Amino acid sequence: MQPWKLQPARDTGLTPAERFRSVRRETGLLESLAHHFSFLILRIYLVVAHRLQILGRHHLPAHAPFILATNHCSHLDALSVVAALQARHRERAFPIAAGDVFFQTTPVSVFSAIVLNALPMWRKNCGPHALAELRRKLQGEKCIYVIFPEGSRSRDGHMSPFKHGLGMLVAETPVPVVPCFIGGTFEALPSHRKIPRPTQIKIVMGQPLDFATTANNREGWSQIARSVESAVCNLATQS
Amino acid sequence: MNQITRERLFGFRHAFDDRVTVVLTLAVVVLLFLAPLLILIATRVANSAAEKQKELWDRYRSWIWLSAFILIPILAGAFWTILGVAALSFLCYREYARITGLFRERTISLIVAIGILLITFSVLDNWYRFFLALFPLTVALIATGGLIPDQPKGYIQRVGLGVLGFALFGSAFGHLGYMANDWNYRPILLLIICAVELNDIFAYICGHLFGHRKFVPHTSPNKTAGGALGAIVLTTPLVAIGAHFVWIGTALDNPVRLLGLGVIVSVVGQFGDLMLSSVKRDLGLKDTAKLIPGHGGILDRFDSLILVAPAVFHYVNYFVGFAVGQPQAIFHG
Repeated sequence: MQPWKLQPARDTGLTPAERFRSVRRETGLLESLAHHFSFLILRIYLVVAHRLQILGRHHLPAHAPFILATNHCSHLDALSVVAALQARHRERAFPIAAGDVFFQTTPVSVFSAIVLNALPMWRKNCGPHALAELRRKLQGEKCIYVIFPEGSRSRDGHMSPFKHGLGMLVAETPVPVVPCFIGGTFEALPSHRKIPRPTQIKIVMGQPLDFATTANNREGWSQIARSVESAVCNLATQS
Repeated sequence: MNQITRERLFGFRHAFDDRVTVVLTLAVVVLLFLAPLLILIATRVANSAAEKQKELWDRYRSWIWLSAFILIPILAGAFWTILGVAALSFLCYREYARITGLFRERTISLIVAIGILLITFSVLDNWYRFFLALFPLTVALIATGGLIPDQPKGYIQRVGLGVLGFALFGSAFGHLGYMANDWNYRPILLLIICAVELNDIFAYICGHLFGHRKFVPHTSPNKTAGGALGAIVLTTPLVAIGAHFVWIGTALDNPVRLLGLGVIVSVVGQFGDLMLSSVKRDLGLKDTAKLIPGHGGILDRFDSLILVAPAVFHYVNYFVGFAVGQPQAIFHG
């Protein structure tokens, strides 16, 4: 007789507060329904208030895992990209959000985890261990990450150079990276504003990039950052 | 809905109509007030380590909340009691699904959740035939839902886990809720819950005092035959005395039958505990969650109650019956 494969949730043993802030978090039925509901509301808001336009969605791979790497100038970016995904992809989509903003306190962590399905990235002490955990989760749990390789929101609407972290997640893996450009979110909700303006938001998705043969070392990570950055710049000029 | 049903469901003014309810509520409150003193004395005498002391205080603080969550709905009315049992079912199923990995099977979990909701409706409605029908019907639905992914590999596992989850947390706990359809449900539920919790404590204390022979060393190495027997010897008469006052003058009010009820509470309560120990040991886990400081998960705390609920329900139902004289089909007419 074949033994059963019983695999407890990876977050077993964490307190509720720790769980919401953990990369090991695995969602259950209720949280999953909450994500679908919040993404539906978000999509309605973005379509009505910001006339959300999505170009190149056919470039998205049919199956997870994959990464959406995009420019970043507003809190609306992650919401717009996740809302742009098809319903079957949304449950697996995790925006990688700044731990010091979105996971600082327990109530904010609960909101980020349940409403946004975000995972934390601690910018000040983000060691290789945290990235290794994200890399394992990406492939092991067939996730879709929404990543902002600039590291933080642009203060003037211009794109900053992409950082290595993205490369550390995908180098030497078959996980494709979909470059993505978001326009209009800086005008709608720049970092100094609290309430969004109802300006149009446009998302352009490009052809997936493959880094299976790119070395998983500092040089490879730089190369990945440069090629994704240049792909996003190209999309920006097309839009 | 007639006046009697409304009073049963929401009539908090009847909270202390029965003497057993008054005695048990007072006992819980007095114990909660005395516990800090007992902990202080025990830790001084035993010269316990700081870690052990912290765990005891964590447990005590958690008991304050747990007692409030148990006492308030029961005293407030049958409606709140039934909702409380439904919440307990959901929380326990959630922990079970997460430790076994069943939560990844969304369809099965959804069917179990719908099954628990329907059980709750049948209990609220006092619709016994629907309550009975729900077990085989939900099992059939789980077996059907398991086909949806079109993946025979793992079918027996996901359906088997789903059926066990519904049997334990939907159907078995549903019996606890169904007891609230009895006009005199407050002393019945308080007696069972207090007896089951005391049974655990008696087993622990007797195990420490007389426990030499391991009972089931592979399932739960800390349990001893002395502890198990001690719990039966102490819990049985307590339940029998309490039950005598609850069912005074009924067919159950006979020494042999009352002692039988006591033995059922004690023995089945310990089996419930061992059942969860087996589940955890099979999975290589110590606790089912880290929700209640000092205790672990909800399931760790209420494991002994799972099997007791249907056993006591059907034992009492055989002799006396539950919800006798109460209107049935309250909502669906």
